Amino acid sequence: MEIKTVGVAGTLESSDIQIMISAGQNGIEVDLDSEVAKSYGDQIKKVITETLNKFGITNAKVKATDKGALDCVIAARTLAAAQRATETNDEPRLEVLQ
Amino acid sequence: MDKTIDLNLTFPDTKARWENFLINHGIKDFSSREVDVLDHTIGLIDEDGHLVGTGSIAGKVLKYIAVSNDDSVHGARFNQIVSALQEYLFGQKIYHSFVFTKAKYSSSFTHLGFNELAHTDTAAFLESGTPSTQDFLAKIPRIKNLNQKKVAAIVMNANPFTLGHQKLVKLASSENDLVYVFVVATDASLFKTSERMDLVKKGTANFKNVEVVSGGDYLVSRSTFPAYFLKSPDELITTQTEIDALIFKNIIAPKLTIKKRYLGTEPFSRTTNFYNQSLEKILSPSIAVKIVQRFRDNEKIITATSVRQLIKNSDLKDISTLVPPTTMNFINENYQILQERIKKGMNIDGN
Repeated sequence: MEIKTVGVAGTLESSDIQIMISAGQNGIEVDLDSEVAKSYGDQIKKVITETLNKFGITNAKVKATDKGALDCVIAARTLAAAQRATETNDEPRLEVLQ
Repeated sequence: MDKTIDLNLTFPDTKARWENFLINHGIKDFSSREVDVLDHTIGLIDEDGHLVGTGSIAGKVLKYIAVSNDDSVHGARFNQIVSALQEYLFGQKIYHSFVFTKAKYSSSFTHLGFNELAHTDTAAFLESGTPSTQDFLAKIPRIKNLNQKKVAAIVMNANPFTLGHQKLVKLASSENDLVYVFVVATDASLFKTSERMDLVKKGTANFKNVEVVSGGDYLVSRSTFPAYFLKSPDELITTQTEIDALIFKNIIAPKLTIKKRYLGTEPFSRTTNFYNQSLEKILSPSIAVKIVQRFRDNEKIITATSVRQLIKNSDLKDISTLVPPTTMNFINENYQILQERIKKGMNIDGN
């Protein structure tokens, strides 16, 4: 899937995560900001990368600012940001979350 | 649960309430220089209808952020305000934002994914989103073995490019292996950014070791250094020029291995004079600062200010002794458009 613009989803509020996706060339590069990065950083990056791969994005820069989001929230925000970045929001791909 | 609402500051009641709230939180500058540039202001209202937080946007800069602390959830209101402001920016397709704040609040922003670019004793400057400083730097052309070369930089608005600018570039070009000429990107001058950029490129085309690049958001831009474009009090200019100098020293120069910065002396502009002082104070000794005396045409000092004045007074003949032929051609061809811009109120006495 081609990234056409910057896509953002999520907020900076507690239990949420803000995901910003822009075009990249070196696979999925996740720049993560999280208070719990030490314990859960790898898991958060894994959820983001897997969600993007399932959606069909293999190259992207991802800026993630986590405020203690659960995996299901991370995946949902990543999908929403990806659909905005690829300008496909009018065709929700909810199956990616399964 | 608190909710965010838009505050319309054109309503006197709303504005008074907003000002009051900010005054109670230690923010006191409501000069038109600061307030008139606000594009959007939001408020946070608690369940009883009290204003408990606010924040504003000017261009891509977050301003006037204040919250009443809610004891139950530390920082929740602050996060909600910053989120709402960013959401507004995203709606305008602006994904890159800045904030100037007191140094002690810097960490509140870094917790929200902001990256601190510079701080002084009192102020901090942070950015968030994309494209970031790293993206900006990645796009600047490099030469082979850059780190073994003598690399210098000049930052200019070039409004327009004069013989003075050309001589300064020539001097730097003769003393270094590579010279980056950063052209101010903010479009707030008589000559538009694309025109200034073009005239700098044409006027330096003969110097093979000169790269003309945009200063982007980082070198004398409306975001980092608004006082360059608007009359401002000394204290503000000092803070902003120091932040600008620190960004150059800590972020821009190391990546491009810039060891020297060339400046022209500034006989007329108070703001530029402050800027030169801050650069000298902050850049040296790690980056050499060379201040070059303004070049003269006979006894007259060459400045872009006098060129703009001559355009206003329709004195085209006298301009040709101050600018290179490339700039002169442009002025001849676009003379009426330039005069039209001045008539429409474009300020030509500033920078």
